[in-house]
Amino acid sequence: MNLTELLDSTASRWSPKPAIIEGDSIVSYAELVERIAALASQLQALGVAPGARIGLSYPNSITHVALTFALWRINAVVVPIPVECTDEELSGVAATLRLEAILARRRRGTSVSVQPEVFFTRLTPDLPADNHGLNIAFIRFTSGTTSARKGVVLSHETIRDRVLAANQALRIGPADTVMWCLPMSHHFLVTIVLYLTQGATIVLARHVVAGPFLEAVNRWRGTVLYAAPFHYALLARDASSAGICSVRLAVSTTCSLPEEVAVDFHRRFGLPLAQALGIIELGLICVNVDDPAARWNSVGRPLPDYAVHIRDPDSDGGGEVLVAGPGFFDAYDNPWIWREQLMADGWFATGDIGRKDAEGYLYLIGRNAAVINLAGRKVFPEEIEAVLNRHPAVRESRVYGTAHPRLGEVVEAEVALRSAIEPDALRVFCRAHLSADKVPSRIRMVHAVARTAVTGKVRRPIAPPVA
Amino acid sequence: MSDLTHVQARLLEFLRGEVFSPQTAVSGDTDLIASGFDSVSLVSLLLFIERTYGLWVPEREITEATFKNTRALAAVVVRLLDERQSAS
Repeated sequence: MNLTELLDSTASRWSPKPAIIEGDSIVSYAELVERIAALASQLQALGVAPGARIGLSYPNSITHVALTFALWRINAVVVPIPVECTDEELSGVAATLRLEAILARRRRGTSVSVQPEVFFTRLTPDLPADNHGLNIAFIRFTSGTTSARKGVVLSHETIRDRVLAANQALRIGPADTVMWCLPMSHHFLVTIVLYLTQGATIVLARHVVAGPFLEAVNRWRGTVLYAAPFHYALLARDASSAGICSVRLAVSTTCSLPEEVAVDFHRRFGLPLAQALGIIELGLICVNVDDPAARWNSVGRPLPDYAVHIRDPDSDGGGEVLVAGPGFFDAYDNPWIWREQLMADGWFATGDIGRKDAEGYLYLIGRNAAVINLAGRKVFPEEIEAVLNRHPAVRESRVYGTAHPRLGEVVEAEVALRSAIEPDALRVFCRAHLSADKVPSRIRMVHAVARTAVTGKVRRPIAPPVA
Repeated sequence: MSDLTHVQARLLEFLRGEVFSPQTAVSGDTDLIASGFDSVSLVSLLLFIERTYGLWVPEREITEATFKNTRALAAVVVRLLDERQSAS
């Protein structure tokens, strides 16, 4: 099974319909499939073989989508790399996941031009990647050097299953126009792939500031918004009189929705925000389509195909959220660990703390602190710690997310020093090695960082909920 | 006026050091959005302003006009600082 087959069958039914709109350029389903086919033959001619892992470092665009499907068409594996990553971060991903090439908008040393703004750079991994016989479509890189779980491996079948499961609640179809502003390198499967296999139109927002975004919603009669609380906060404070009356569903994802944003957005546009719970390893587990107005602070009831269990609830009913259902990740790499080795009982422990009400609505009361959710991007503490620890003045460090009323969470760090250094100097050092969003906004100097007693690993407490 | 110059200099220093690549020449008149100032940059800049001036730029001010260039941005920051001072 290959995900391009799903797109082909949608495209044959809806061939003249716009698939993606970027600025003034409108690409129909028929044209999108043609572009994909052309890119696929070019990539094949460059020697991209089935199973080859290819890094994709490309900004939101029609080309980003076409390149992903083109790689799938020739059975290659897509590894998205955020464009804001530094060269050093990119090399780290390439080495860890044994990428054979990078596709990017920027020219590098030995790159070959595939199209005017698409450059292909061949790499030489130390060892060939082992896909363990799996029909892999996608590997999402999740963290740096110290964590054992570096890449989340997803097969074509897995992605199909989670897309179909998610659409039981989202009900995206050919009548929908989705307004898109999240980074595709962080969000692609239960979003872009879902929309395109269901015949919807995607409008790529030029910028996240409210004015141009609302203009685009009204110009293209958007029906679905899918964004982070940060984006909804910008829209909620828009001072113009522009409405969004064509929108039927506004999903808030990536981190807890602050009450103020929920209330202000609802008041400003007359539409409640529906919170969702999506997890890289699992897919879209919950989205509050049933009662977003009264229960704005719930991520909703689990979608029909998923079961959610609260482990060892305390007296308030709060405990760790466990999930069972279809389309879960196939494995972690590198080292390779099969999903079955980690969840023998069929339940995946999310690390999030939550409780359910009498009607089965799930409320998250603490997020998995191993991931920092910053305005729609996922940031992994280990890779920032690895950089801090390399500074000669640093003995050890601990990076964590702190609730921020607007952004969800922000990156902060505790650092134990060997010799004196100013926090600003450490920040500049971080920026030299990491993308801007990963630079800790606050660095606290401590005598020793908190560690867990059992493993000696840096302690990752459950982050408190956003107030 | 000296406030404005000072704020603009700090913003430029931050943008040059932590947001744009060294190849991008950023001056007070550089159109930020046209130079690749995206939502990652926006978040980093908002956090910088919050950290430096204890000021969260309110969402109503986050418009295309504010991010036109560093001069416009500095003017907004100075106005917000003045408003805060006269309110207290």
